[in-house]
Amino acid sequence: MARLIDSPIGTPAPAPALATDRVTPPAPSVIAAAIGLSKIYGTGDATVTALDDVSVEFARGRLTAIMGPSGSGKSTLMHCMAALDSPTSGRVIIDGVDISGLKDSGLTTLRRDRLGFVFQAYNLVPTLTAQENITLPIDIAGATLDRPWFDTVVDTLGIRDRLSHRPSELSGGQQQRVACARALVSRPAIIFADEPTGNLDSRASAEILGFLRRSVDEFGQTIVMVTHDPSAAAFADRVLFLADGRIVDELDDPTADRVLERMRGFELGGRS
Amino acid sequence: MFRFTLASVRGHLVRFLLTAFSVMLGVSFVAGTFILRDSIDTTLDGLFASASKGVDVVVRGSGETSAIVTGAPRGTVPLALQATLASVPGVARVVPDFQGTAILAGKDGIAVGTGGAPALGFAFRTDDPSFTLVHGRGPTGPGEVAVESVTLAKADLHVGDSTTAVIAGQAHPVTITGEVTFGALFGATAVLVDEATARTAFAPDGTVSTFSITAEPGVTQQALRQSVAAVLPATDEAVTGAAMTAENKSSVAAGLGYLTTFLLAFAGVALFVGSFIIVNTFSMLVAQRTRELALVRAVGASRGQVVRSVLTEAVVIGVVGSALGLGLGLAIAAGAKSLVRVALGTDIVAALPVHPATVLWSVAVGTIVTVGSAVLPARRASRISPVAAMRDDATPPARSLRRRGVVGLAFLAVGAVLLTVSVTRDSPSWPGAAVAAVLAVVGMLVAAPLAARPVVTAVTWPFVALTGVIGRLARQSALRVPRRTAATASALMIGLALVTGVSVIAQSVKASVADVLARELTSDFVLRGASSAGIPASIGPAAAGLPQVQSVTRTSVVGVTVDDVAASAVVTSAAGLADNIVITMRSGPLTALAGDTVLVNQTTATAHGWTVGSVVTAAVGTLTAHRLTIGGVFQDSQALGTEFVVDRSLYDQAVPVSARSDRGVYVRAAPGADLGLLRSQLVTLAKPFLIVSVEDGQEYSDSTAASVDTLLNLLYVLLLFSVIVAVLGIINTLALSIVERTREIGLLRAVGLRRRQLSGVITVEAIATALFGAVLGCLLGLGLGIAMQRGLRSQGLDQLAIPWTTIVTVLVASVVVGVLAAALPSARAVRLDILRAISTEA
Ligand SMILES: Nc1ncnc2c1ncn2[C@@H]1O[C@H](COP(=O)(O)OP(=O)(O)OP(=O)(O)O)[C@@H](O)[C@H]1O
Ligand SMILES: [Mg+2]
Repeated sequence: MARLIDSPIGTPAPAPALATDRVTPPAPSVIAAAIGLSKIYGTGDATVTALDDVSVEFARGRLTAIMGPSGSGKSTLMHCMAALDSPTSGRVIIDGVDISGLKDSGLTTLRRDRLGFVFQAYNLVPTLTAQENITLPIDIAGATLDRPWFDTVVDTLGIRDRLSHRPSELSGGQQQRVACARALVSRPAIIFADEPTGNLDSRASAEILGFLRRSVDEFGQTIVMVTHDPSAAAFADRVLFLADGRIVDELDDPTADRVLERMRGFELGGRS
Repeated sequence: MFRFTLASVRGHLVRFLLTAFSVMLGVSFVAGTFILRDSIDTTLDGLFASASKGVDVVVRGSGETSAIVTGAPRGTVPLALQATLASVPGVARVVPDFQGTAILAGKDGIAVGTGGAPALGFAFRTDDPSFTLVHGRGPTGPGEVAVESVTLAKADLHVGDSTTAVIAGQAHPVTITGEVTFGALFGATAVLVDEATARTAFAPDGTVSTFSITAEPGVTQQALRQSVAAVLPATDEAVTGAAMTAENKSSVAAGLGYLTTFLLAFAGVALFVGSFIIVNTFSMLVAQRTRELALVRAVGASRGQVVRSVLTEAVVIGVVGSALGLGLGLAIAAGAKSLVRVALGTDIVAALPVHPATVLWSVAVGTIVTVGSAVLPARRASRISPVAAMRDDATPPARSLRRRGVVGLAFLAVGAVLLTVSVTRDSPSWPGAAVAAVLAVVGMLVAAPLAARPVVTAVTWPFVALTGVIGRLARQSALRVPRRTAATASALMIGLALVTGVSVIAQSVKASVADVLARELTSDFVLRGASSAGIPASIGPAAAGLPQVQSVTRTSVVGVTVDDVAASAVVTSAAGLADNIVITMRSGPLTALAGDTVLVNQTTATAHGWTVGSVVTAAVGTLTAHRLTIGGVFQDSQALGTEFVVDRSLYDQAVPVSARSDRGVYVRAAPGADLGLLRSQLVTLAKPFLIVSVEDGQEYSDSTAASVDTLLNLLYVLLLFSVIVAVLGIINTLALSIVERTREIGLLRAVGLRRRQLSGVITVEAIATALFGAVLGCLLGLGLGIAMQRGLRSQGLDQLAIPWTTIVTVLVASVVVGVLAAALPSARAVRLDILRAISTEA
């Protein structure tokens, strides 16, 4: 077990124990970090460098957006961070645990207990009801459901009257809200969302994003979200810009206009 | 479009192979049966040709040709005829065929087993072309024998060894002087004695069953037959060697025909079960390829083209599966061949010929079943609208099960009612029952999806209680497409329904036999012969002479034909009969049994209007047009199981001495006798005769039941094929549904489902499917078995016994089947790469 420190979710992680083991010790408020992360696909002539020596830290209790052109490595970064994929080199630290040292069962436990996911599509098990989908990670773990917290999440997302429905009976926006509820209900250290609003119209998008924002503000949840939409990025505390597998820029407290401006800057820069 | 089909086959090679595999299994059974039949046929030709080598005309007594069926032996011809025959112009040589029973004791002192085949004894003649001396020399005196090679090997003896032989009921110490080979004996053993010994042992009354005559060069069989027939008395006949061969062959071939039909019936079941799997596989392939097919339609393919594409795939699978099945069939035939060799100690089958007809049948059956099964799914595929390509969740909407359920339940209800009516009538109507059974089975198959929810929910209950979410996920998966789960389970249901039904009958037979024996058998000991040789005639009188014996009843069997009744009459004598076997007389006394006065059972008497004193004309054994008087009418008896009881004096008159033997010897001890002592005395008496066993009532009942078990096990082995096909079906369906659920599995793994938990889900799903099939199968089998028992009540199957052990075994085995079936698919599922799974195009 490559567990370096024990940090209950929601309380600041004490840093000292890390100092001897880490190249760049993260600040106390850092909940997840990538250190020198590279991901190379394929071999020989067909190699693609999806991530090129990326080092990044995600602060506790903040909503971070990741933007960048298609193929820039956003999803790859998310997958490596979320223990769904293993990097070619570099390390990923989640909530004080260096996940590169974990075997499949350790990774599974980590995903189950400490990570939440929201994908662009296909987030729910079609045979289970909304409620069963939401409690799935807890059921798998055999843990007991924190009922008041479940109620809070469900009410905040406004899906109480949909709990007994199956995914096929829900709209895309409703399905995505159920997915968010599933990610939140086990109180993970961090939630990764890859284009969570990619399939939704602007109103449904705004609802989801508003909810993600509230869960950060009201419950102290940490969220990392990939988006192509500047107005979605505007919900975040911080925006990272990725291009060709590298972090090329970042922006704190973004507005849609400022994001758009930066993006135009890249495009122009890219062309010259 | 053909390129599209090929690409689709190539793209889904595993599913393709699994489907081809189930076709293969069904076809292999058909092919194996044909190959085995052909090879036995070929062997028989060779065998009979070699047996009748050098025999141009056979002289024999009168009698029916189909002696095997009625048990009536032919009359014999007097040895004195030999000189007359030898003087017929054109005759080169006349040989009296001395033949009888000769049992050899092996090295261990126990009779060499024949597996029910006869233990034959012949005369050794150097000029007899039907066998060859391969080692040592022929027997020259009473204490010498030559033994056939396989018999010798089974006896674990060698030329020069001494042992015991029971020749025509007489035990002799003998030395083995030589070893001979015959063409093939079908498991029978053969011992040869010198001609003088053969004459005294096998022709004590101066008659033999046949003379073999060889013609002088240039004389045809036909011509010789005519000149020989001219000198024969009217009661005897002459046939040509060729006619004799054909006659022998046809009686064996008739038996072979039954065997073939029997085996093909099981092959049919396996194929029928296989067709469910094929339908299922194609339905799933079509469902999974909805988007792909819709895309093809969107770019301009017609509905016909889509249908043809799916059917082409079916043809490819059918042909490949059939070809593989042919290969497996050959292997099965080879396996059966060596099994027979081990069992009979002889190679009855020389080669395994694959005739063009076998290839044609196998491929045709396999392909037709496959294509036939694919027609419905193909039509469904063609109905997919091009728009489906644009939709995200392009799965065809689940159709309501209501109509299907109503139709199925209606069939089931009509079948059940009709079945009940058919079998509870005074004389059951079997055609009606068969139609009803088919209706019920079809109804069950049609209504099965409706039963999926309650049954699957029930059988997964313990898993849900134990494992929570794992069990629930498995339950939901099994219930996702009830039709599919039902079709998968149905394959198992058919096989297990047959297993249960057959075992209900078998169990009832055993219970009924035990019941009958308990009620109708009052003797203390029963002596039985282990082979068709029966019990030597000397044992009965010897047993009667023992001090503690009150009475002995000996029974034999003889063919009696009166008008349309061809019966195997029981031969016995009135003295002591009542002590040993309970016969309830309806009219006339039991003691009327004497000479030409016989007893007849109630049913036959009523049907023919016979009463005490009626006179009938009958054929009894070799006697034709013999007048019999009805001396009494007895209540139908299961222990006797016959229409007529005739007296021993009539038997002696009707059956030549060499063909006489006892079937059973029943011994009643005197009151207060020491049964243990009596048994040991009987054993001492029986021991020299090697294959006579001594059993008390319970043992007799048990060993009768054991013979039912032997048959039952054979049926189980045959049914195993359809069960294997069904298991493959479960594997196939699971594998396909895992492909279908790739994204879902990725998602579950992403949110923290462990590999072990995932394989748990898949295993529980498989167990649920298997148990579902097993539960329906057991219910169906119980229903049909009970109905059959009810119908056969008047035939003596009056006790109903439910084989609980078998049912529990079936249910437990189906859990094991589920675990086994899940192994491969779950190994595949846990290896799925999470990321790739999530991003899979569903
Ligand atoms: N499994 C893979 N095998 C080979 N190359 C891959 C694989 N997955 C991603 N890539 C490559 O890695 C690079 C980064 O892909 P990634 O999916 O991370 O991009 P992205 O930024 O998420 O793009 P998008 O905005 O279109 O989702 C791309 O060039 C892609 O072609
Ligand atoms: Mg992406």
